[in-house]
Amino acid sequence: MDNGNGCKIGVFLCECGRRIAPLVDLKGLQAKLAADPEVAYAAIEPFTCLTPGLATLRQAVSDNGLTRVVVAGCEARILLKKLENELVPAGLEEGQVDMVNLRDHVAQVSDLSPEEKAAKGFKLIKSAVSGLQALTPTVHEKVEFKGPVMVLGGGIATYSAAQELSRRGIDSVLAVSTDEWEDEIRMLHEHYPGERHYYGRLQEIMKEVDASPHIRRITVGELTSLTGRTGNYQVTFSDPLGGPPRMYEASAAIACLDGQMLNQGSNFGHDGRNVICHTEAEEMMWTLGVPEGKVLFWINDYEAGHPEYAYLSSRAAWSMARYMRSRSPLTQVTILYNHQMSIPLSTGERAASRQLGIAWVPYDGSLRPTVQTGYVTYCDPVSHVESEMPWDKLILSPRRSVGHEALKVAAVLGLEHVEGHFLEQHKQRVRPEMVGRAETILAGSARYPCDLHEALRQGRRAAAGVAEMAAKAARGELYAPRMICVVDASKCIGCGLCKEICDCGGIEPVEGPGGNIPRHVDPMVCTGGGTCAAACPYHALTQLNNTTAQREARVAALAKELAADEVLAFGCAWGGLAAADNAGVKGLKYDPRLYMLRVSCIGQLDPSVMARAFLEGANGLLLIGCPPEDCHHSYGLDHTWSRVNLLKKLLALCGFDRRRIALAHADLNEPEEYIRTVEAFVSQVAELGPIERSQENLEKLRGLYSTVNNARVRWVLGASLRRPWEDVYPGNQRNALIFDRDFMGVLSEEFIRARVANLLSSEHRPFQLSELAAALKEDEAPVMESLREMVGEGIIGRMHKDGVAHYVLRS
Amino acid sequence: MLNLTIDGKKVEAQPGWTLLDTARQYGIEIPTLCFHEAVEPFGACRMCVVELKQGDRSRLVASCVYPAEEGLEVYTSSEKVNNVRRWILEMLLSECPASKEIQALAAEYGVTSTRFAVHNPDEQCILCGLCSRVCAQVVKASAISTVGRGVHKQVGAPYLTPTDACVACGCCVTVCPTGAMRSRFDAVRGLPKVVLAHGAR
Repeated sequence: MDNGNGCKIGVFLCECGRRIAPLVDLKGLQAKLAADPEVAYAAIEPFTCLTPGLATLRQAVSDNGLTRVVVAGCEARILLKKLENELVPAGLEEGQVDMVNLRDHVAQVSDLSPEEKAAKGFKLIKSAVSGLQALTPTVHEKVEFKGPVMVLGGGIATYSAAQELSRRGIDSVLAVSTDEWEDEIRMLHEHYPGERHYYGRLQEIMKEVDASPHIRRITVGELTSLTGRTGNYQVTFSDPLGGPPRMYEASAAIACLDGQMLNQGSNFGHDGRNVICHTEAEEMMWTLGVPEGKVLFWINDYEAGHPEYAYLSSRAAWSMARYMRSRSPLTQVTILYNHQMSIPLSTGERAASRQLGIAWVPYDGSLRPTVQTGYVTYCDPVSHVESEMPWDKLILSPRRSVGHEALKVAAVLGLEHVEGHFLEQHKQRVRPEMVGRAETILAGSARYPCDLHEALRQGRRAAAGVAEMAAKAARGELYAPRMICVVDASKCIGCGLCKEICDCGGIEPVEGPGGNIPRHVDPMVCTGGGTCAAACPYHALTQLNNTTAQREARVAALAKELAADEVLAFGCAWGGLAAADNAGVKGLKYDPRLYMLRVSCIGQLDPSVMARAFLEGANGLLLIGCPPEDCHHSYGLDHTWSRVNLLKKLLALCGFDRRRIALAHADLNEPEEYIRTVEAFVSQVAELGPIERSQENLEKLRGLYSTVNNARVRWVLGASLRRPWEDVYPGNQRNALIFDRDFMGVLSEEFIRARVANLLSSEHRPFQLSELAAALKEDEAPVMESLREMVGEGIIGRMHKDGVAHYVLRS
Repeated sequence: MLNLTIDGKKVEAQPGWTLLDTARQYGIEIPTLCFHEAVEPFGACRMCVVELKQGDRSRLVASCVYPAEEGLEVYTSSEKVNNVRRWILEMLLSECPASKEIQALAAEYGVTSTRFAVHNPDEQCILCGLCSRVCAQVVKASAISTVGRGVHKQVGAPYLTPTDACVACGCCVTVCPTGAMRSRFDAVRGLPKVVLAHGAR
């Protein structure tokens, strides 16, 4: 039977051997589902997931013309992908198949009777069915690659990236600031000191790049903008000679950025003549030759506060020491290193070091060595005797930073930069299939401190990633993931809130930086976290195949069915839901009054979904995410925290208990703790009792629902959400209390306005002020205030009858 | 269509079904440990052995990987099969004495102690590799594998250090038949970051 929505939904119940069939009254459940008008087909299968079951499933789908399938069995986290793949030949796409975990959320975790478990399963299945009914399937978006790959930024990784692309037969354009690669090598030590032994190989790479027919080299000025999305970018550079800006088309962009080396400060005695840093030492060797006398390398990274760079610095020092000793036998070279680190040499290199007479001297790092004229005083770690090391040239480790040039390019590319950190992007911990473009497109030591070899390797890897995508695109097989965000350009006002809170960097302005420019989403970068969609004040962002409308339909269907003491919950697939799955697998028993729905990130939950749950009959709502600071989409939990606080304020405005909604977190590996969380909340809601569904309360709940969809409220809420560059929740806000007072003020205003508008629209007749205030059970003053504003905004009209003002909603 | 009998019951199978698929389709239970529906069968644990009889000859095969064939006579809990399962369980009890799941399964077969030497009383892992197969085939992250060889074999990330390839989805923990992955999980995903104060990571 068709449910009028053009979709036919089939439900398949799994017996799963001993694990579901004897514990749940499947026959009764099947009969109840078959009688439901929304369900076109219901069947019981021994094992839907095994080869015979899958064959039956496909057969049933094609025989009955089903367009949506719900399988009530076990973990969607593990088996949903297999079912989706198996149903592709039957014409069902990802998103059109859903799973209810009958085994681990219902059958295994309580001592209810089989009939009661069937009733619980029915509610969960109905919820999944309603969610699927609200689904609008979308076309799988194909991504095309237009134009060559642009390698920009001017870092040394440019050459390895270009080499890799050329070897894979992909055209590329190198945007460089100089034509002469000898110049690049001459100045390379400013970014990668002590790498002279590698220059031969680098020259080979450069020669290959020069000779390659796939590579075009352009000499440009600064990068000014990069717009478009994966497969189709427009890159603009300024002209180095001051001409008009130059625009290029590119299918992908690889940014190669080298970090900057800074000198140590005067607290290490740095003077630029005798006490110098690696870069200066290298420069000296280029211009004046190898110094004579006693050269002392001090690996002072521990004292400079960055012990993690000691390895890089000591490798560079070793390389320079080797060069000095092999060129000038009169030079004595000593390397002074912290005894906490080990000498970073291979066995062969150690032998070479001994042969060359390079002394590696450890010092006890707990006493800071002191620089004196001609001596460094240090503590011997073995004898604990204070010792002195004489020097004619003291060479210190450099300070490493991203550098201004790299930062300028990063800003144009929209890469986030946190003071004191490098450009390494925060990597969402999500499944590889959820990211279209797995490889980051950044290479070089501005990404994280590294040596030349590693920088070139990064370039090759980025290029290999891009080349694989390009090859797929050329075969016509490159598709964007299905559950990603899209912007409705007609609703987007270009406020940029989504871009600010997006952690994957997938949201970009349609053109150029700044201003009220509509945004769009790069489908190959978006990971489908969805907190951006939940934050959009105008509902312009939606998550394909996984929309807020679907989630609202799911909570509505479930909330309607829930008994007074039952609790609706959302569990994120990485935290709460996984913990619930594991509790079921372990056979732990807990309160069966919890009904858990699945979301892929708790941050996807729009406040309207939470409000809808209360409106439709839920008395308690529990949201269970990942452990704090471990959100797989970076800030989902923090953003939900803010949203839950919004709901708490509104519940209080309605006169309900604030404790009816709560945010919790669960580590998937600690199902016992998850159970404590659930039991604490469920018993709390049971204590509070149900919300009385009186006319008055329903009116308030409708007002609550309208308020969370109000653009102004969503704007103020959006302003308080944690931004990716903020270290801790709730971020660098203004005075917390002042913000809260302002927010509360906005909420109470908008709450009354929403209720006035709801009342006027439902009654279709003019109201007096006193009537309105009485109907809403509010004081006249705030109602008058909102009426005055709404009249001013033209939302409602005012007319006078018998000298008394009457208000009516304008259509 | 293939006709065969399982425990004397006449059943029909399609080409491509394994004996385990066929038995489960007809509600006949066969215990498994290393088998999971989401991944390819592997035949590591041998708990799913069944007896194939041909005249007075008989042999034991792993039902999770053995394809259904025309005319097979299959016994899933004959004396021979149960004997083998008891042997396997006794060996597993010595290998992973701490696993509650293995103890429960052994008790079902009447095995409560083991005659083999117990080397590590806290061990839970049976090295079936299900976790690494799920990680490779379902999650497609390939973050864990078995590391080392012979008696040194164990489950973990490369070099037994937390790896970036792990997305901490916990699928390995959920599918683990012995509960062993639970204690190994933190060594793969790394402990969750804890923010102590502003700026301190």
